[in-house]
Amino acid sequence: MTPPTATAHDELRGNEPMPRYRTAEIDNTGDDPRQRAPLVLGNADYTAVTEDVCSINERGTPRAWWVAFFIASSFTGMFVVLLGYLFTTGVGVWGNNNQVSWAFPIINFVFWVGIGHAGTLISAILFLFRQKWRTSINRFAEAMTIFAVTCAGIFPLIHVGRPWVIFWMFPYPNQMEMWPQFRSPLLWDVFAVTTYATVSLLFWYVGMVPDLATLRDRARGRVAQLLYGIASLGWTGSSRHWQRFEKAYLLLAALATPLVLSVHSVVSFDFAVSQLPGWHTTIFPPYFVAGAVFGGFAMVITLAVPARQYFGLKHLITLRHLENMNKIMLATGLIVGYAYLVEFFTAWYSGHHYEQYAFLNRALGPYAPAFWLMILCNVVAPQFLWSKRVRTSPWAMFAVAMFINVGMWLERFVIVVSSLHRDFLPANWSHFTPTWVDIGMLAGSFGLFFTLFLLFCRFLPMVAMAEVKAVMPADAARTAGGTHAASAAGGAS
Amino acid sequence: MSPMTERPRDDYWLSLEHLARDPELCARIRDEFPGYDPAALAEMPRRRFLRLMGGAMALAGLTLSGCRRYPAERLAPHARRPEERVPGALERYATGFEIDGATTGLLVTTHDGRPIKIEGNPLHPDSLGATDGITQATVLDLYDPDRSRWPVEMTAAGERRRRGWDQFDHFAGAHFRALRALGGGGLAFLCGRSTSPTSLAMRARLREVFPRCRWYEHEPFDAAARIEGSRLAFGRALRPIYRLHRAAVIAAIDADLFGSHPAKLRHASEWAAARKPEAGRMNRLWSIESELSITGSVADHRLAQRPGRIEAIVQELARRLAVAGVTDAVPLDDRETRFVDRLAADLRVAGAASLITVGDAAAPRVHELAHRINAALGALGQTVEFVEEPAREAGTIAELAREIESRSVETLVILDGNPGFDAPADLGLAAHIGRVPTTIRLGLYDDETSALCTWHVPRAHFLESWSDGRAWDGAVSIGQPLILPLHDGRTDAELLAGLAGDATRSGYDLVRRTARDVIPHEEGDAAFERAWRRALHDGVVERTAWPRVEPELVGAARSTASEVAVAEGATGRLDVVFRRDPRLHDGRFANNAWLQETPDPMTKVTWDNPALLSVRDAGRLGVRTGDVVRVSVDDRSVELPVFVLPGQPEGVLGVRLGSGRAAAGRIGNGVGFDAYPLRTSATLAFAGNATVESTGRRYDLASTQDHHVMDTFARQATEKRVGPRGESGKVVREVTPADFGGDAGLGDGEASVPRADGHDRARIFDPPSQFNEPHAWGMTIDMSSCIGCNACVTACQAENNIPVVGKEEVARNREMHWIRIDRYFKGDPESDESPDVVHQPVMCVHCENAPCEQVCPVAATVHDTEGLNTMVYNRCIGTRYCANNCPYKVRRFNYFDYHSKEPGEPARPWAGMPDSQQLISVDEVKRMVFNPDVTVRMRGVMEKCTYCVQRIQRARIDRRRRGEEIRDGDIVTACQQVCPTQAIVFGDIGDPDSRVRALQESPRAYPVLEELGVRPRTLHLAKARNPAKVDFEP
Repeated sequence: MTPPTATAHDELRGNEPMPRYRTAEIDNTGDDPRQRAPLVLGNADYTAVTEDVCSINERGTPRAWWVAFFIASSFTGMFVVLLGYLFTTGVGVWGNNNQVSWAFPIINFVFWVGIGHAGTLISAILFLFRQKWRTSINRFAEAMTIFAVTCAGIFPLIHVGRPWVIFWMFPYPNQMEMWPQFRSPLLWDVFAVTTYATVSLLFWYVGMVPDLATLRDRARGRVAQLLYGIASLGWTGSSRHWQRFEKAYLLLAALATPLVLSVHSVVSFDFAVSQLPGWHTTIFPPYFVAGAVFGGFAMVITLAVPARQYFGLKHLITLRHLENMNKIMLATGLIVGYAYLVEFFTAWYSGHHYEQYAFLNRALGPYAPAFWLMILCNVVAPQFLWSKRVRTSPWAMFAVAMFINVGMWLERFVIVVSSLHRDFLPANWSHFTPTWVDIGMLAGSFGLFFTLFLLFCRFLPMVAMAEVKAVMPADAARTAGGTHAASAAGGAS
Repeated sequence: MSPMTERPRDDYWLSLEHLARDPELCARIRDEFPGYDPAALAEMPRRRFLRLMGGAMALAGLTLSGCRRYPAERLAPHARRPEERVPGALERYATGFEIDGATTGLLVTTHDGRPIKIEGNPLHPDSLGATDGITQATVLDLYDPDRSRWPVEMTAAGERRRRGWDQFDHFAGAHFRALRALGGGGLAFLCGRSTSPTSLAMRARLREVFPRCRWYEHEPFDAAARIEGSRLAFGRALRPIYRLHRAAVIAAIDADLFGSHPAKLRHASEWAAARKPEAGRMNRLWSIESELSITGSVADHRLAQRPGRIEAIVQELARRLAVAGVTDAVPLDDRETRFVDRLAADLRVAGAASLITVGDAAAPRVHELAHRINAALGALGQTVEFVEEPAREAGTIAELAREIESRSVETLVILDGNPGFDAPADLGLAAHIGRVPTTIRLGLYDDETSALCTWHVPRAHFLESWSDGRAWDGAVSIGQPLILPLHDGRTDAELLAGLAGDATRSGYDLVRRTARDVIPHEEGDAAFERAWRRALHDGVVERTAWPRVEPELVGAARSTASEVAVAEGATGRLDVVFRRDPRLHDGRFANNAWLQETPDPMTKVTWDNPALLSVRDAGRLGVRTGDVVRVSVDDRSVELPVFVLPGQPEGVLGVRLGSGRAAAGRIGNGVGFDAYPLRTSATLAFAGNATVESTGRRYDLASTQDHHVMDTFARQATEKRVGPRGESGKVVREVTPADFGGDAGLGDGEASVPRADGHDRARIFDPPSQFNEPHAWGMTIDMSSCIGCNACVTACQAENNIPVVGKEEVARNREMHWIRIDRYFKGDPESDESPDVVHQPVMCVHCENAPCEQVCPVAATVHDTEGLNTMVYNRCIGTRYCANNCPYKVRRFNYFDYHSKEPGEPARPWAGMPDSQQLISVDEVKRMVFNPDVTVRMRGVMEKCTYCVQRIQRARIDRRRRGEEIRDGDIVTACQQVCPTQAIVFGDIGDPDSRVRALQESPRAYPVLEELGVRPRTLHLAKARNPAKVDFEP
């Protein structure tokens, strides 16, 4: 198969069909002990990788993208309108009540923060562990992290009764001489989430600089040149740049790694530190982290399967990648299932009436359907991943991932609502029913997420070209055309 | 030369030291603003300055909080202060409020001329310092923007036109001058029941001027049967006055002693006073009733039965107690027999310390039998005293209807009341009123009756009126106005004086004129002035109660076995029992949002009046709570939603009257269902032989409790927490006199109540007791005394500016009441036995180790040094984490700006600034009711019980001004003050002599949810029941 040449590059700007190697499903999941499995398929060389990734940004905007963007941004628009309604009317537009003081906004917050986890795990932890296969998916997953954290960050800000004084949560010098109250887990959340968002954004952006420079160099339009030029921070690809880049990247990876564990641990403290039966559990930090990784990978699969199909990235995001993610999902899914079991065991073993009833009510009370659906989604559905056929069939794993997405949202619903609605004094027991605004805002946050993701697909390199090239066998590149070796250095040619 | 002369002459100097350039003074003058150093400001680096300013502007601008608009206020200060007027100081005046023909003495607090809070008058025999919830809420009626503001005339064409008082006076002057010439022929008056001396004097005065005029009285809930009963027993109309504190055994026969009796507050107080197991006193209350009243809910033994069976039961009881003349046994069923056996035996043991009480709705013969039983037990003069029933020289509304029908009424004057809404349906009074050529209605609201009349004129609210009245036992009190009429209304007496053409027309003169005859005083104007002032000051006049009489029974009881024995069998048809709404009375308070939102004591339903159905009947009819049924009696039918209530007697459909008004005002219109159309003059108490059929429709009821359907596990968990029948649970503890080493209140109070409930707390985690300086505020709530009357709920609402949220919001479980009364049932709802009821008032318990404080990210809820868990409203950003972490769930969140929202309407996006002030958004008249000592909370902040911190501060300031320490009893919280049974006691638990300390050391005291280790400052006292011994031999 002939890799595309520089001339083919021009042709690709039109909408001609992609070469087969980009769209064919090749099973590279088998392990041959005699040789390392290739991470990039289709004998693609450095140039091809650059071409394949950049062409997505450089080609004309596909109609399907416009359709998807229209739908997603409509939901985003609805989200904005609902925010206006919320601010002018009061948080009573949601279904929260005296007994169930937290509901959809907090559920959505925890859900989106959880989604964010896979990105950092892939980019930071797998980087430190030298899991080279991460390079094809890390950009993608990190972008997802940023967008998920964006969605997550909105909810705690708007869920308070007086959002216009939300800045009182931050420790800043003020005429009232008031500090925030440092014993509150909500305050820990503020630090955990802002730190996480900052480090993730930095990590993502720093990793993207060489690729942005490639796009800059290839850009034809003045605006694109200018914008990519500014964004690439004057990257020239010099050895000094590379040396500093790699050091910075390593340091950021080391910084981000503890955050993967800390953010969701801290988020879980919101619940674990309270004394509500069903929340007050020491298992929450590891359970939440496992759940977050579980849900995060499900969301990566949800995005990756259609994206690699549509944008023709099957040689970069190979079945092997997907399978690896499935394995992680299976492992973390088992941890989550185990955590569910342990919660029940602990409740029984505690001999504590309120604790026991909280869990009995979870499984058999008014919100039992949500609980059992959660079990189906989070415990039963991942079991299909034991089968290699499912693990290597993109659409089958997509279905499993969808189940997990739903299941992880339900998990937070079960934790938040079913614990709150019946606590200590039976006279207080209540019921929560979401309003149309609750549902609209959940949908709106998905709209925002997908809007941002679609913009990312259109304007930023979806695959970390420079990093992928670094893990490609140098031989392959050389045999394919030594003159292009320089482009392995990040397109500063 | 002295240094002074060295200074230039034209320099000013401040003192001799200054002139002498005293270095110390000069330094002090230089340092006029300590801590302010202009040099430091000048030296601030430019970057630092920009950084600070930029940060400040960004935060102010980004969040709009810098753009807060404070409302414009206009001041009109007194140029010369009126004598003894201290702006901002609370003043209290004694007045009185008449309802059902009895006046309760009140002390009303005014603030800068606005009455804002009503309390009971401790000197008044029917108040003893307490009030009921309705009286608490009347202050809201005063400021009701829907009140009638001007006279309205119906023109010949049927149009209703706004008029002025001068136009009415002109019309009335001519009309009544003409009538006077006729001697008042064709003139009729319709008014409510009243024992007010001025009203009676005006009545007499009008009879003088119009000799041929006729008077009619109408109250939807009349006492005719009670009076008839006393005639049967004693041969004359007598009024029984119950002395519950002297009774060891009390039997309430269809008598809601604590809920609807005019002397209910005194009853509750006396009953609770004799119910202190620690003090060795414990009475026993038996209840036979055809509803589930609050009296029945606190009874030690209760028999729920159809109203038609009650006569038979009482007759059998009379026979057991050997009442003369009652010889024939009536057949009773097993349940009735068992009950009567034990009750009779208990009464026999108690002897003269027994008391049989009967409610107004019971048949005259039941009243008669009760009197005879009391006499047989020797209770007359002991636990029940009698006074002459004041004579009623007035016809009934049925007679009025007949008169109108015979066209002999030309002019009808209707004083207050609302006969167009609440008259018995068979009279067709609404149509009749329309046929009278001239009808004049004096009313607080332009309501259903006013719409039928040719003239409507506004009535003054009692807080705007001079009035007088008599307590249940006849004690006179003078009602003084607290404010000039807001809407130019007149009192009954003022209107009548005008109609009579009298020169004396002011309410003050009229009342004062009567007072000369009523208030005992020595001869002379000066003596009267002294007596008058004293009456105004005290609110009640001594030695004016009617004299007690010692009646003799006349004749013997008839034995009517044949009549009563044929009560309804299992016909499958229901009896419809009509009762006033415990919240709205007969419907006259339907436009009061506080009362509409007060939960019903038993069903906890707000903003509605569902028909009550027993569990078995509901099962048989196949309906459940929220189903709409059609209730038909003869050819009349109404549709009502159903509430299935444990404890409701089988075969009885309980109907609460007073809801479903069409012209109540913006609050009350269309709220609930009007059941008056079912009620005829023959079926005032109950209508038998009703059919109930499901319409298949559902209706949403908004309840403050039980927002859920109970599954089996939930029921088990509830039972574990509340406890099985007769036993303690985790959160509700109960004791019987056996726990105190005896029964029937004879225990010595030594034995202790088991405290531990399986969760021994790990003491190592206990911090030492803290927040005790200089006082340690705490509270006790006695569940044995609490009757669940809801007075505290409304009192708290009035004191603390608690908003009304509306039915939709209650249905979402967002009610704002700081105090709630949790009501639990115990026992099998399907069984024959009436379930036990527990009323557990819960508000913030002010935990020392408060879970809410630890989770607030902005420190908006913190402890003060005296143990108050305070809420800093303007720091709160509304994360609601505190509410999640509160195990008692007593925190209330302002999901909307409830004060500016109409309760019936959904919250709308509101274009003002999010932080705009309540002074702008709340109606001008409505906001007059706000207590200025308490912040009016905006949307988005959390709130909860503060232990009435404003009252603590007032007491502290008052004492400090006099250089004294706060004493026990100085601080009375709003809920404590209003409680008729003194179930709530507040004070300093650090003070070894305080009442609250003594109660906290009671063996009955326990912290609810003790095992959580939050160490509440409010302790509950376990509910003491006093059931008769099971192995009782009749």
